[in-house]
Amino acid sequence: NEHNERMKKFKNKGKDAAALRRQRMETSIVLRKAKKDEQILKRRSISFGLTDDVLSPGEEKRDEIIQLSLEEIVEAVNGSDGELQLQATQATRKMLSRQTNPPINQIIELGIIPRLVEFLTYADNAPLQFEAAWALTNIASGTSENTRAVVEAGAIPVFISLLSSPHMYISEQAVWALGNIAGDGPLYRDALIKCNVIPPLLALVSPTTPIGFLRNIAWTLSNLCRSKNPYPPLDAVKKILPVLICLLQHEDKDIISDSCWAVSYLTDGSNDRIQIVVDTGILPRLVELLASLELIVMAPALRAIGNVVTGTDEQTQAAIDAGILAVLPHLLRHAKPTIQKEAAWALSNIAAGPCQQIQQLITCGLLPPLVELLDKGDFKAQKEAVWAVANFMTGSTVEQVVELVHSGVLKPLLNLLSIKDSKTILVILDTISNLFLAAEKLGEVDRLCLLVEELDGLEKIEALQTHENNMVYRAALNIMEKYFSGE
Amino acid sequence: QRVLLLVASDVDALCACKILQALFQCDHVQYTLVPVSGWQELETAFLEHKDQFKYFVLINCGANVDLLEILQPEEDTFFFVCDSHRPINVVNVYNDTQIKLLVKQDDELDVPAYDDIFRDEEDEEEDSENESDGSEPSEKRRRFEEDIIERTMKRRQRREWEARRREILFDYEQYEYHGTSSAMVMFDLAWMMSKDLNDMLWWAIVGLTDQWVQDKITQMKYVTDIGILQRHVSRHNHRNEDEENSLSIDCMRIAFEYDLRLALYQHWSLYESLCNTSYTSANLKLWSVQGQKRLQEFLADMGLPLKQVKQKFNSMDMSLKENLREMIEESASKFGMKDLRVQTFSIHFGFKNKFSASDIVYATASLMENIEKEGPETTNFIKALDSLSRGNLDKLHQGLDLAKKQLRAIQQTVASCICTNLVISQGPFLYCSLMEGTPDVKLFSKPVSLCLLSKYLLKSFVCSTKNKRCKLLPLIMAAPMDVEQGTVIMVGIPPETESSDKKNFFGRAFEKAADSTNSRTLHNHFDMSIIELKTEDRSKFLDALISLLS
Repeated sequence: NEHNERMKKFKNKGKDAAALRRQRMETSIVLRKAKKDEQILKRRSISFGLTDDVLSPGEEKRDEIIQLSLEEIVEAVNGSDGELQLQATQATRKMLSRQTNPPINQIIELGIIPRLVEFLTYADNAPLQFEAAWALTNIASGTSENTRAVVEAGAIPVFISLLSSPHMYISEQAVWALGNIAGDGPLYRDALIKCNVIPPLLALVSPTTPIGFLRNIAWTLSNLCRSKNPYPPLDAVKKILPVLICLLQHEDKDIISDSCWAVSYLTDGSNDRIQIVVDTGILPRLVELLASLELIVMAPALRAIGNVVTGTDEQTQAAIDAGILAVLPHLLRHAKPTIQKEAAWALSNIAAGPCQQIQQLITCGLLPPLVELLDKGDFKAQKEAVWAVANFMTGSTVEQVVELVHSGVLKPLLNLLSIKDSKTILVILDTISNLFLAAEKLGEVDRLCLLVEELDGLEKIEALQTHENNMVYRAALNIMEKYFSGE
Repeated sequence: QRVLLLVASDVDALCACKILQALFQCDHVQYTLVPVSGWQELETAFLEHKDQFKYFVLINCGANVDLLEILQPEEDTFFFVCDSHRPINVVNVYNDTQIKLLVKQDDELDVPAYDDIFRDEEDEEEDSENESDGSEPSEKRRRFEEDIIERTMKRRQRREWEARRREILFDYEQYEYHGTSSAMVMFDLAWMMSKDLNDMLWWAIVGLTDQWVQDKITQMKYVTDIGILQRHVSRHNHRNEDEENSLSIDCMRIAFEYDLRLALYQHWSLYESLCNTSYTSANLKLWSVQGQKRLQEFLADMGLPLKQVKQKFNSMDMSLKENLREMIEESASKFGMKDLRVQTFSIHFGFKNKFSASDIVYATASLMENIEKEGPETTNFIKALDSLSRGNLDKLHQGLDLAKKQLRAIQQTVASCICTNLVISQGPFLYCSLMEGTPDVKLFSKPVSLCLLSKYLLKSFVCSTKNKRCKLLPLIMAAPMDVEQGTVIMVGIPPETESSDKKNFFGRAFEKAADSTNSRTLHNHFDMSIIELKTEDRSKFLDALISLLS
């Protein structure tokens, strides 16, 4: 209405023109999206920029936009004019490097990939090599089909030989391209290994290698360790491991992170593969990294250690000796649910060990955080914690069971009986049965019955007798008949 | 569409409210008025009414915090904010949809530039991209246009930008002060709509005078704004100038005047006014025996018989009153009081009743903080609001009586604080705490009264102390607030210097000190430099404040 209009006019708008076009961040998502699309449009018009004057004066010459149609690109790439080849390859690379909707498929359809691979071999034209390598890197970064287009043009051996290029920026780009190829899956990973990618790649790691370069190497190495079915060949792993161990000592968190992930892939397998990693003596360093405040370091370190404790009792003992039990309490209480879950998973595997290891677990004060997690943790973490208790019950001595009950585990455990997940309910009921068996040994069945009743466990178990899952119903019924039919 | 009117408890807000009410009446806009004394009441009032209302007008509250943040309104809710509190929160300034600020065009806001404090989302998303959540790295990576070095450069630039932003915001938010009176802004609005009336003009004058009495604006600003209002006054009142006889009983006339800076003197005795006006009492140092002697000498110098001086001003001999202002001024300057004359306005209702703008301010403020309970919480507010209408002279007179009591109470408290050395230097500031059981202590649990007391006390202290460093210090004053809950009310005021810019840094300092000590404080008042604090936490809070400001 008129009055509001007048009030609006009164607002002090003249001060800052920016105020007119700006809105607060918290307007609706729809608005936000609209705005974002606008920005994309803007960027597009710059990367296809028609004139030079859209560029700010500060931009360097190499960023000058050469506007070429796709047809012109094909012609130039297939032609013999070196200057035109470079321009066309650069234009291609630029298109493939823009943030949104890179035209990967269109470029592949142009049929220029074999030429681009050929350009990689033009050792006397480093700029062309570089542009081609970058373009191919980005094509290989797409779908499996995209990667295949690069590999089938014969790029693997050429990129491997580029690792030894005298120009560091070219060998770095080759590392990146090879990382993308290895990341496609075990097939290309092993193809690379067969082509002997490892020695020249490892040779790039030296004390003088720049950090950015090392990050690329660490990531590519991690991709060479990645994927099961099949696992990477053992001798390849043995070659890579010493360098990984070395990179784990670096102070850059991105390098450590990727190296940790590599170790986690290597430990995600059979016990003999875990043994190879344990033998390097890296476990203390991994435990040290568990205490890192950087999530990107701590998470893969936890995954790696978690994998190790899935191994033999001796391998698990190695992790315990490295000090994992001292850091686990903090991780069980971590703010991030995924960390809680992984930590609980690791704990469940340690609890599955012999009673000596269970005793160490008790001595290191793991029961209180375990009970807390059962009580208030993230749901997925709670399920892992249930497994930890179940595993504990199977390997522990009667005294250790008493200790567990004294830590207050029963209340949150019984509370969890009201969740939906039948599998977890079964594990809990199984654990309760085992508790009663232990109580029988101690002649404390009555006390345990009373305790369960006091904690409202009885009505929960009773209620489960009508559960739709047959096994749950039977397990509940079994407990009821055995221990609560007295009255 | 019905409008909800949320009005703070200060005289300027009431005056702005009166003007807006009159405008609403003209345009037949329906509204509901809710008085709010602090943030808590503002939030409650909003929550209670948000379903029925889409339009909210906030008077003398709301500008200096992020309203959308604290109220979480729906998107179709709009706020019109007319508030003299500065600095204005930057989000309120740059929000173009839901927050409409009513600000005078020539008010210097010095708001930081948009690009210095807000960034496009594009950049922010990129930043969050860099922050990994600890999940597995991607199998493949595309290399973007900008390479890694540029990216780290960008990150560094961003860090620098953020550091600069913090600095800019710190500078911007560091000091609390006041902009143009809300009543004046509202009057400007009425004027622009050609709907301004003489009553509205008077309320604008009272609003400005409130800022002056409460010491919220600089002398410069006061004089400038007086000049603006003077033009309006002559526009509205010129036709009566030559024909004073035509004044009718229900007519009102506003006049510009050079008047004496003596509180309420036309409704009091000259003697009482001299004793209870901060300016004269501080300059003559009336709390001491010497001061009392000086007062006698001062009166003698003027040649006014004590008997005349002590009787009601109205009943003083007409002959004495004739040249009274000149006589007083002349003697005052001999006694070091050169600024006894001030530019102000007065109003005549019919033949008999004449009030100066400051009379109205004192009376209305006293009604608002009347400590004698007379019904529900809003009674004082309504009464104060009513007293501003010219039909309610009885309420105005009641207010004048309360105001006299208040000024006496202030003067007595100031005298006892000075005489018993209750004002202590804490290093970076002066500190004075009123004990439970002090006479009139209940009155000073109210913010406006406590602020007035603090200002009077600081003026008097500056006149009484010989310590030159102490003269330049700001003052923190504390008074019992709620004995049962064990709370004190605390106010910080800037130093009392002639060139004072009236900017107050205590708001931020209080916040920081409370944070660092986990003191249980409540920032409920619209002035950030007034807080409530648990009595037990007071000493650690003060310690933190001392180390913060040292």
